[in-house]
Formats: sequence, C-alpha cells, structure tokens
Amino acid sequence: MITLEDDALVFRCPEIHPKAQFSLSFQRTLRIPDDGRDYPLPPGLGRFSLRHIEDYAKRVPERWLRRGGIILPMFQAEAMWLSFGSCLSFDGEYPFALKVATGKINAVTGAPWSQPLCRDPQDYLVLPEQPWLDGYSVEKGIIRQFVAAPMGRRITVEEQLTGEAEWGGIQLLAYPMKRERFDRLEAERRKIAAEFSDLFAFESDGEPGDAFIATLRETVLEMRCSLGLAPGGRMHQQIFEDEFNVEDWDQEHGSRCFVTIANSADWTSITGEAMPSKPVTARDYAAAGLHWYDYYAEAPALDGSTVLQGVKSIANTWGDAGQDALDLVTSVAVGPIVQLGARPVREMQD
Amino acid sequence: LQPKVLTLFGNHVRHAREARLQADRRYSLRQVAQRIGVEPAYLSKVERGEVAPPSEETICRLADDLGEDRDALLALGGKVSSDLREIIRARPKLFAELLRELKAAPDDAVLRIVRQVRDGDW
Repeated sequence: MITLEDDALVFRCPEIHPKAQFSLSFQRTLRIPDDGRDYPLPPGLGRFSLRHIEDYAKRVPERWLRRGGIILPMFQAEAMWLSFGSCLSFDGEYPFALKVATGKINAVTGAPWSQPLCRDPQDYLVLPEQPWLDGYSVEKGIIRQFVAAPMGRRITVEEQLTGEAEWGGIQLLAYPMKRERFDRLEAERRKIAAEFSDLFAFESDGEPGDAFIATLRETVLEMRCSLGLAPGGRMHQQIFEDEFNVEDWDQEHGSRCFVTIANSADWTSITGEAMPSKPVTARDYAAAGLHWYDYYAEAPALDGSTVLQGVKSIANTWGDAGQDALDLVTSVAVGPIVQLGARPVREMQD
Repeated sequence: LQPKVLTLFGNHVRHAREARLQADRRYSLRQVAQRIGVEPAYLSKVERGEVAPPSEETICRLADDLGEDRDALLALGGKVSSDLREIIRARPKLFAELLRELKAAPDDAVLRIVRQVRDGDW
C-alpha cells in the first residue's frame, strides 16, 4: 500500500512485515549545466508538493484520472531528484527493489516499462543501499539529470525512444524483500552488530459537440499541461548492483504509483493553491558559494544503459523544439563539496 | 511533565543526534541547536531531561533536522500537533469514538482505514 504523508509517498507492506516500509520524496534542485562536464551532487532544496489526483477530478483531463496516483507541479526545465528514506530510525531498514520509469521508459536500462524485475541487465534500484536517484543511468557512475520538458516536442526520453508522447510523468513500482530472506538478513545484521557492538550502538462538463472535437480538446489540454522528463547535464552517481538474488524479492506484493507532472503554471487552476516559487538557478547557487555533495560507496555499480546513452540531452533538443531560449550549457564553478558518509543527507534545511 | 517523559524524550533526541553525528559532523550539539534556533546549553538540558521538551514548533524543527517523524517526536514530548488538535476539535465526538475503537487494533488494521494512493490503468 502507498500513502501520501507530508509530501512524500510512503510504501508499506504490513502484510509482509511491520518494518517493510520506505518513503520517497521528490526533491527540488538546481538544473546542472548540460555542458559535457561531470558535476557533483546538487542539493535538495525542499520537497515538491504532492496531491491525490482524484481530488481534482473536475479540473484535470480524464486520461490523467484513469491513471490514478498523484500529481506534482514542475516548471519547464526544472530539475528534480528522487530521495529514498526509511520510516524507521537507525538500523533495521527493510530492503525493497524499486523500478523507476519516466514516460514508461525504465530510467536504469532505457527499456520499455515492464512489471517483473529483470536481473540481466538489472532494471531496478535496491533500497536502502541506493539513497537517491537524480537521473538516467548513462555510464557507470554517471547519470543525466531528470529535467522537466514539455510533451509533443521530441525532447523527452519517452518521445525520443518511442516516437510517441503518450505517458509522460514518472512511474514507480516497489517490491519488498521476501519475509524469510529478511529474517535471515536480520540475523546476519544482529551477528555483525554483536561483533562490532560499539559501532552499532544505535477538465469540460459535457458540452454538446462531436466526440472527435472533445477528444482533440482533451488531448490539446493534456499536452499543454503535462510534462515529461528529459536527460539534462551529467552528474557523478552510482547505481548499485543488487547484492541479493532476484528470488529474494517478493514480486507478489508490489505497490505501484503513476506520478503525473503538471506544469507549475497550471497548478493554481488545478488545485487552487499558490504557484510554486521559481527554482534557484545553478549560477545563482554557485555564486553564493553554497555546498555541493559527493557520495561514493565501495560497492559494485551498474554499467550505464547504452540505450539511454543514445538519447539526446536537452542542450541538443530544447532549441530545435522551438522552446523559449534558455541557457542550458554555460558552466558554473562548483563551490565547496561535502563528502557524504554512511547515512547521507543532502537536503538543505529550510 | 513526569521525569520519565523528560528522560525518554531527551534520551531519544540525544541518541538520534549522536547516531547521525557518527557519519556527519554537522550533527554536533552546537550545530543542531543553531539550525533549530535554540541555545546549545538549552538543547543540552533537553537531552539530559533537565527541562521540559521544547515548544511544538521547535520539536518539529528538531524532528526535521534529525530526519525523525514529527508526530512521533511530539508524542514522545507529551504533545499532540496543532493540526491534529484542530481535526479532533472540528468533530470531537466522532474522532474520540474512532480513536477509542482503534486503541487496541493492530497496526495493519489501522492502516487499512488510511487513505491510500489509488492505482489506475497505465
């Protein structure tokens, strides 16, 4: 089951284990330059607002409603990252396998959406080992940042790979570890904790008209309001290999969610809430001398996807798509870099 | 408040802060106090259970800083968040009955009445 709590999605499988839970939030962040350089991790600048989509049934296209899930606002060309956290303090975190897709294209492999887990090539993240995901896996240790882009302009990964602008948004599917495997893992953790105890102390209302016009109107509305994700600048980030076996995951108890991305400019008309503030630019952030982050773990990491590697990044698509001119490529001088430790946190405090 | 509540709250905060401090030096007493807007000496007294838990706002800032759940930390400090108080005040009889009914229910039974994110066709 998935609940919405404090602008985070909380995945729980109480029928499997009381500890089987994790939270996922969508972090606002800087859009790093798409200049060919590899950037360190930008900060988390607060959570994107999340709302149940059915609460706005009369103000959103019917197709959005049918997908269910949640809705979040982003500005065009705004960047985001996904932050994964435990609902539990300290140790005892329950492992999950998480599939992440944008426009129903897997963000790890570039393959079309599928529900079962695939091990070769691995098409999922393993939590809690993976603390976050900032973009598409394009090379070993390198991702291209998730950047919001309009649909229908052949900028999004979905459109570049399928030729269609059908889905947009983000798709999530989480499978918990099987109970018996977790019990064994807990026993292993207790054994290690005992050996190192000092280290582990702790839309329209039916206006008459022909159906074709209605469908066309809805499609235009949807294309205007909804956003997809496209690959932006390059960033250092490992996607970790699964250290367990694919049989260790309980694929009979998956929880999935469709995340519709609404254009921030339409947020007020959809929800009645104030439009989110404009995102901070990388240039302003760098000029302020604020921190960037680095996180490296001594664990095997996946090779990047050759399919995703072949997708054009925004610097090569945005202008050609007739979008307003944006400075996507001017490099910025990176400020002080904070090396993150075992329990990495990169969200800036309010 | 009873001394036991003070100690429980203080111990929990200290353990949570120290656990983070092991991996990140920004979780020193001084830096956490600075971020949540209190004096280090005051936070130290809170952690030792020598003074009553701080205000609701400060507990919420502390919970956010330490990555703890706001409601759980408020409850540990003997408080209920103002939004929850408003919810109960709006329909006191209904919510009082509901809470009493659910008092002894297991977590999974309570979770079944929580609003879930609806999945659709995609």
